[in-house]
Amino acid sequence: MKTLSRTSGALLLGSLFFVCSCKTPLAPPEAQQAEVLDQALWRSGASFYAQENYVQFKQSLKSAKEKIAREKAKFGWFRDYEPIRAEFRELLQNGEDLLAKVEGLKSSKSKYYSEQAAALSARIERLKQMTDYFNENGPVRKSLAQAEIKLSEAGLLLQKEQFESMGNYLSDSMTFIRQAEQAMMDVLSRYMDRKELEKWRRWADETIVESKAKETIAILVNKLERKLTLYKKGVAVGSYDIGLGKYGLSDKLYSGDEATPEGRYHIIRKIPSSPFYKALLINYPNEEDQKAFALAKNKGLVPAETGIGGYIEIHGGGKDNLTKGCIGLNDRDMDEIYRQAEVGTAVTIVGAVSVENTILADIKKFEKNG
Amino acid sequence: MKGLTKNLVLVLAIAVVLTGCKQPTQLIDDAKAAIEDVTKAGADKYAADDLQKLNTDLTAALDEVNAQDKKFLKKFGTAKEMLTKLKTDVDALKAALPAKIEAAKNAAIQLQTEAKAAIDEAKALLAKAPKGKGTAKDIEAMKAELTGAETAFAEIQTALDAQDYIGAADKAKSIKEKAAAVTSQIQAAIEKKK
Repeated sequence: MKTLSRTSGALLLGSLFFVCSCKTPLAPPEAQQAEVLDQALWRSGASFYAQENYVQFKQSLKSAKEKIAREKAKFGWFRDYEPIRAEFRELLQNGEDLLAKVEGLKSSKSKYYSEQAAALSARIERLKQMTDYFNENGPVRKSLAQAEIKLSEAGLLLQKEQFESMGNYLSDSMTFIRQAEQAMMDVLSRYMDRKELEKWRRWADETIVESKAKETIAILVNKLERKLTLYKKGVAVGSYDIGLGKYGLSDKLYSGDEATPEGRYHIIRKIPSSPFYKALLINYPNEEDQKAFALAKNKGLVPAETGIGGYIEIHGGGKDNLTKGCIGLNDRDMDEIYRQAEVGTAVTIVGAVSVENTILADIKKFEKNG
Repeated sequence: MKGLTKNLVLVLAIAVVLTGCKQPTQLIDDAKAAIEDVTKAGADKYAADDLQKLNTDLTAALDEVNAQDKKFLKKFGTAKEMLTKLKTDVDALKAALPAKIEAAKNAAIQLQTEAKAAIDEAKALLAKAPKGKGTAKDIEAMKAELTGAETAFAEIQTALDAQDYIGAADKAKSIKEKAAAVTSQIQAAIEKKK
């Protein structure tokens, strides 16, 4: 009995030693890494950018986790995580690849939309430069400001990687850019009309020919080029930069439209002391202007109780001043012109004279792009 | 007789084990519905990270349910605990969500006020700007740009009314930026004139 007790005790001790010396294997760390990777994939927007692959990843993760759970349910000594570990390693590799794919996709989308935004921004800048040049600021600059605001909103969405919404804002920005271009084209389209150009060229040619034939001084104003050229006996003797009004590129129709008239005029009065330094008053409205005004009035194109206007001058005060329809010059240039011009001197105001003009070429390109 | 009693106890015990180990379907349905509710309430916009955590917890609880379901002796205790905790967390987020939305709304309104102030500042400066030689054209352009900013300003209120507070905040930031740019241009024009 005593021997039996000793044997039992030894067996018990041996068993205890065996149990204590056998370690229960720990769950693989890759399982936790896979969870972290899953979070990273979610954050990166994998469910949106690579839905199919992400669903596959999630299913594989679920299956691997189930295997871990099954293994955990076993008695400690019988757990073997090695095959599952291998599965997790493969899963991690696939997940990393998927993350790289999603990041790559996002990066290319980001690049694409950034380029689109940069192109729109450049287009806005170009239009702004044109408005500066043509003094067409009203509706054009308003639309451009709205386009810029939409573009800025798109930029904020780019930072948040909300590319689809960003696309909508870029499209809105484009709509405003087109509105601006249309507003500009409404004014500038006349400058591409061949008939108009031929008429202006004829007026210019006739003025120069008359100056030569009559051996007189003549003034030719080119609105698009913003130039006043002084002719003496048919030869250009001086060229001066000029400024026009807010709607200077339009043909004057009525009082207060702030447009500069186009036509063949002459100086009717020399004003040595004017609020704008010195001035040369021309005979606007001439007969043609009166006919055009009457026609427009009949068609209802002129506001009620509005007259045809007058007092169109070539004056000093600076070419950078915005006139109300007159032609502004720097005082030093005005001195020169005032000195040479006489009452009766021909003043021809044209929109443009050359279709090959670089500005016109720019407008054409601009219209094509629009 | 003694054997019969033993067998009866065994059968009863098995019945208790089997009937007591049903899937916690009601808890699952409740948790799913609660997450859906909180998502609809705006958690996807205003508490995206919290919502993601809840979805992950739900997935983990469902995994636990499925794992137990495959066993002969099912123990849904852990799953029930997970689902109950999840429900508590969803309720906590639901309770916190109005404050988060309110904070986003207040931030958007604050930015709207700042955008308005920026426009007003630009307008006031524009009124003082010298419209003489060299600045008249620039001022005309800036006036038109401010009109554009003012037109866009109305969109902030539209977004606020539609409860799109993040969109409203973005609009306000952009308008404020534009108005500030116009102010800088006016200041530059004034400097040019000096």
